[in-house]
Amino acid sequence: MAGLAASNSIVVPDKMLEGAGINVVQDEVTKVDAANKSVVVSGGEEFKYDKLILATGASSFIPPIEGKDLEGVMTLRGLDDAEKIKSYIADKNPKNIILIGAGFISMEIASLLAEHMPDKFNITVIELMDRPLPLMLDKDMSDSVRQYLEEKGLTILTGEKVEKLIGQDGKVTGVTLASGKKLDAEMVFMNVGVRPNIDLATDIGLDMARFGIKVNPFQETSDPDIMAVGDCVEKINFITQKPTPGQLRGPALLQGRIAAKRLAGYDIEFPGVMDAGGCKMFDMTITATGLTEETAAKEGFETVCAVVDSRSKHAMIPGVKPWKLKLVFDKKTQKLIGGQIVSHAIAPAREIDAVTAFILGGATIPRLTTFTSASNPDIAPEPSAEPITVAAEQALMKLRKS
Amino acid sequence: MKKGEKLVIVGCSGSGGPAAMLSRKLMPEIDITVIRKEKFFIAR
Repeated sequence: MAGLAASNSIVVPDKMLEGAGINVVQDEVTKVDAANKSVVVSGGEEFKYDKLILATGASSFIPPIEGKDLEGVMTLRGLDDAEKIKSYIADKNPKNIILIGAGFISMEIASLLAEHMPDKFNITVIELMDRPLPLMLDKDMSDSVRQYLEEKGLTILTGEKVEKLIGQDGKVTGVTLASGKKLDAEMVFMNVGVRPNIDLATDIGLDMARFGIKVNPFQETSDPDIMAVGDCVEKINFITQKPTPGQLRGPALLQGRIAAKRLAGYDIEFPGVMDAGGCKMFDMTITATGLTEETAAKEGFETVCAVVDSRSKHAMIPGVKPWKLKLVFDKKTQKLIGGQIVSHAIAPAREIDAVTAFILGGATIPRLTTFTSASNPDIAPEPSAEPITVAAEQALMKLRKS
Repeated sequence: MKKGEKLVIVGCSGSGGPAAMLSRKLMPEIDITVIRKEKFFIAR
């Protein structure tokens, strides 16, 4: 969408797979005969298997609201969608664009359109919850993102529910909100989540779970010769140990590799997801991992949290940019359970990977007060301003007071 | 899996592709087929 990479550069070429001796078939699987261990494609060809892996992914979820089928209503899931969007903008020249849902896909699209074609569009994001990026950020972190994006010209409406899409001659012309407001729009994006593609698994009769195909930590389904990986399967949250959709690329890739290792005889379990993710809007980078303070509370955790302002370099170095970190701890165990970063430079946002590693390792508040980062004036804040350490110390003080 | 056995992978983007490539590395003597309905394997 950003135009930073040619379409074919984000496609894994068939040559890479075929060069590795993998047979690549472009066709739709219409039937799996689990009893006879065979797969049939729409062209009628049959493929026998000893082991089968289902990696059927997920599709954009379009809520059943009036007007969803009007021309100009779009979703973004893959390359075809991105090309359709670019072509629609070029052909129809929309002025008013509305994005429904303020998750990271919506916010990135909105920012890219505003950044690459400034002053061309009136862009409005409509979110049911009280803030943009509600699954990644708590409100205290999200507020600065909202202010920044509004300064960049985006209109962000929160606490608003879309009632219906309105149109004329089959084309979208606007949106009606439950609050009664009506907004003009010649293009509407619906980015409110995805649903697993489970038709094949259901037809086979595999055990299903709330968020997809049910698998064990080795990616094995209820059929001993069928595994399932990626967006089509239900995951377990690493922290809560509860079922979750977890439909992000990182866990999908990991599950594919875990299935391969299992077939090769290894016993390596999928550890669960932490929903670690990131997005970039203009020159602001946002990353998050684990539970937000809000989600943790819903899951029954009593939390202690700390927000620390930091900088991308030592304060006296030219080009220094601000960033801030929030850490969420479980008050009972003092373990780290979540982190959020809002940064005006890209590099500090990767510190979220350290947060993820600390969560995986069960790091506690006292332990993190002893953390030292690799420091250099041009690449990191002063050691005294290392935000993970400072946040842990703040949390330690809060515990002492409570 | 043993030499000559058949692995079929249905669907391929973020998880099917890595499953196929690592299976090939770890089990060079099995037969691997990937079936996808899309025109391309998308890397992102």
